[in-house]
Amino acid sequence: MADPRCKRIFAALSEYLDGDLPVKNCRELERHLKGCQPCLAYLENLKTTIQACRKYHVKQVPRPSALVRSALLQAVRKK
Amino acid sequence: MTRMNAQVEQALEILKSGGPESMDRAIESLQGAVYAFGMKVCGHPEDAEDTAQETLVRLARSLRDFPDARALAVWLYKVAKTQCLMSRRKSKFAPAQMLSLDALMPDHQVGSPAAPKSWAITPEEVVLHRESRERLERAVLALPKPYRLVLILRDMEQLDTREVAEVMEISEDTVKMRLHRARVFVRNELEKYFSKKERARS
Repeated sequence: MADPRCKRIFAALSEYLDGDLPVKNCRELERHLKGCQPCLAYLENLKTTIQACRKYHVKQVPRPSALVRSALLQAVRKK
Repeated sequence: MTRMNAQVEQALEILKSGGPESMDRAIESLQGAVYAFGMKVCGHPEDAEDTAQETLVRLARSLRDFPDARALAVWLYKVAKTQCLMSRRKSKFAPAQMLSLDALMPDHQVGSPAAPKSWAITPEEVVLHRESRERLERAVLALPKPYRLVLILRDMEQLDTREVAEVMEISEDTVKMRLHRARVFVRNELEKYFSKKERARS
């Protein structure tokens, strides 16, 4: 990323994707993306990464131990 | 309205209301949420089980101390985070270092063969295919813990920035800074995998 504009854009990509970037900066970023294929591809792949994280779930979960179950049930009864 | 992990908050509502109905389901739901959080952070089933056990036993002692389910959920993540930080097994991937944005920046030029191309894979496919799913898990575990925790809380547990700041006891600006670096790191790790696969295909 030799271009200083690419560097500036790179630092702001998460804020842009989270909707936290001020409108003025969004416009600058979008203008840049129109003419910079590598930055656009970088952004798209970052978006895929974030969405994959959101869709990631741990598959196997053991049942709660007897200790956990009795501690929580006792706490509820005491209330 | 802030968006705390809905599963956790709903289960805590049921526990706090104290009614007998759905109690078992609420306990299983909390076990599931805290165990899964432990697995994402520690990457080891025994550490995740320790995290779930310690955190939920402490929850039983503190159930009455919190006015609402949201405050309790923040507290629960805080306790689970501390348990994970004390885990006995160190990640074999993670270096204990800070991530610099300059070092994470790709060295691409427009038109060069090294310039990134869009991946031919959807987010659903990343988590469905065994190999790419494992790559994602390894990339997250390779993050230094302060970054890993922020990424897991924000992007996997889907807490908002303010809630992550509360759980981590850091400012919202620091959350945003760590989150961006963590996402870029994971993205770059996945890029290595996908471009290697692409090269093998062509």
